[in-house]
Amino acid sequence: MVALARKTLIHEWRRFLPAVVAVGFAGLLQLLQAALVLGIFGSASVYITGSSADLWAGYPGTQSVNLGRPISEDVAMRLRMDPDVTRVEPFRWVDADWRGPRDTGGVSVFVSGIDTRPDGMMFSRALPPALRAKLNEPGAVIVDKADIDSLGVNIGDTAAINGQRVRVVGVSSGLRALGGVNIVSSLDTARVLDLDPEGAGMMTYFVAKLRDPSKATMIAKRLSGSDAFGPYTVWTAKEFARQSQLYWMLDTGAGAGVLFLAGIVFLVGAVITSQTLIAAVIGSIREYATLNALGVGRGALRKVIMEQAFWVGALGLVCSIVIGIVLLIIARNRSVPMELHPLTAAICLLLSMALAIVSGLAAMRSLRRADPASLLR
Amino acid sequence: MAAALHTSSLRTPALQARGVRKSFVSGRVHSTVLHDLWLDVHAGELTLISGPSGCGKSTLLAILSGLQPADAGGVLALGQELSGLGMRELEYFRLQHTGFVFQGFNLFPALTALEQVELPLTYMGLAKGMARRRAIESLEEVGLGPRMRLRPAELSGGEKQRVAIARALAKQPELLFADEPTSALDAANGQTVIDILHRIARTHGTTVLCVSHDPRLVGHADRVLAMEDGRILSDHVPSSPPTASEAKEPSA
Repeated sequence: MVALARKTLIHEWRRFLPAVVAVGFAGLLQLLQAALVLGIFGSASVYITGSSADLWAGYPGTQSVNLGRPISEDVAMRLRMDPDVTRVEPFRWVDADWRGPRDTGGVSVFVSGIDTRPDGMMFSRALPPALRAKLNEPGAVIVDKADIDSLGVNIGDTAAINGQRVRVVGVSSGLRALGGVNIVSSLDTARVLDLDPEGAGMMTYFVAKLRDPSKATMIAKRLSGSDAFGPYTVWTAKEFARQSQLYWMLDTGAGAGVLFLAGIVFLVGAVITSQTLIAAVIGSIREYATLNALGVGRGALRKVIMEQAFWVGALGLVCSIVIGIVLLIIARNRSVPMELHPLTAAICLLLSMALAIVSGLAAMRSLRRADPASLLR
Repeated sequence: MAAALHTSSLRTPALQARGVRKSFVSGRVHSTVLHDLWLDVHAGELTLISGPSGCGKSTLLAILSGLQPADAGGVLALGQELSGLGMRELEYFRLQHTGFVFQGFNLFPALTALEQVELPLTYMGLAKGMARRRAIESLEEVGLGPRMRLRPAELSGGEKQRVAIARALAKQPELLFADEPTSALDAANGQTVIDILHRIARTHGTTVLCVSHDPRLVGHADRVLAMEDGRILSDHVPSSPPTASEAKEPSA
């Protein structure tokens, strides 16, 4: 079989270049957009994904981890009573106001009060044990390196949170927050910083470790069953993280924005690609008509067009993958929050291929002009 | 009945137009291009239809070759009635039995001469090796053996038309249609193309139906039909030149 589609693509690459570029850019835009959105909104659940707990118990109906309310200490008892739970740890969330040594005005901060033991579950993935240990000192806090400028501090500086004096003892990385700044302290320090009279002495969450994490869903359901220990709900870590991210995505309207942008990208890409392919078909219309005169069926000719569209799509995808990887590496080195899962990447790339195929279908229509009788003039 | 008609005489027409009528409507103007035209075209002959432009010769070619349906009347090609066939059946008929040579060469810029000729063959379902062999044979027959690896941009006009002829010839069609095959060529190349077409009719027994107003072709045709205003005005066998060219032919 003479590879007409591929040979034409190679020989007339200048003609097809706009289509390849369009598919490539559409794919790249979808990829980067998805990575950015996942990265940014992924930080909404950094408390959960940065920790090793399997279950989270909090106030019923809590939509996102930053919206927790105080729950009774009894919930910890209830968790401990379950035979599958091996450890329970409290987590205290305090919304607070930061005043730094330099003139930064008021900064809204989220204080995470955590168990500072070296084997603590909270932020076990974000804080190395040595850094955790420094939190044992009263008034000690850790800030993220990405927030140092907005807080106007350096390691060793003192500042005030809710009017209480704190000292920055270390810097973490990857604890960037959405809509504010994350501050990590010990449970004791967090209690001092908490001015809310209603929740005095009460924790926001209890997190638990399971003997067998694969049973998390079942155990969470079992533990959520009763209200005997006060109002609370138990989520699996995965579920709660997802819920928090989704809340932010919908709350900020970013979800709709992303879909809208994806639609625009798809549309623009499809217009450019289909126009390019149509021009290529029209450019060879007399040759196609001759083949049809010689008896090569319209179906076979359509296949040639679709094959061209497929190769344009494939080349575009290769471009977007290569450029995408380079940009992701650069973003990571500059601590731009970007995250890409294989599944999301596959969906983005599939969308670009769909774009190429749709354009091919559009170009196929112009094959109707390949009328062999029109060659007889 | 068609089959009976086909086998009844020795010189059976390969192509038969039976009361073919065709008219076109453009706006409110209704013009009849072919008026109830009857015609027999014989196998193994180079039949030339000549006439001024707009006389309907190209339309007649389109109808006889199954590219266009007639408004009325029938076309019998190789004993098969073409009118009433669907698009796919017509495509299949053309794939199996016909070759075309157009005024423009219509070659794919990306393909070498060999690939241009191979392309339709692969769609005929020929095996790769078989298609390659036939393509090479045809290119050699039109004298392009040494240049078959070249792309259209590297070939002259005459060579391109010879590739187009080879592309039609390699299908080994019973019917070969040519529309103004020489009008885009200079004298020498036109002569070469005429000789090739003539030889195809003789050596392959192919029915060659050629539409042209090129006077050089008249001398080489076995039969010349003069058309005007959608009717055939004269039908004659040219006298001496064909024999002269035939005497020359083996050396050509």
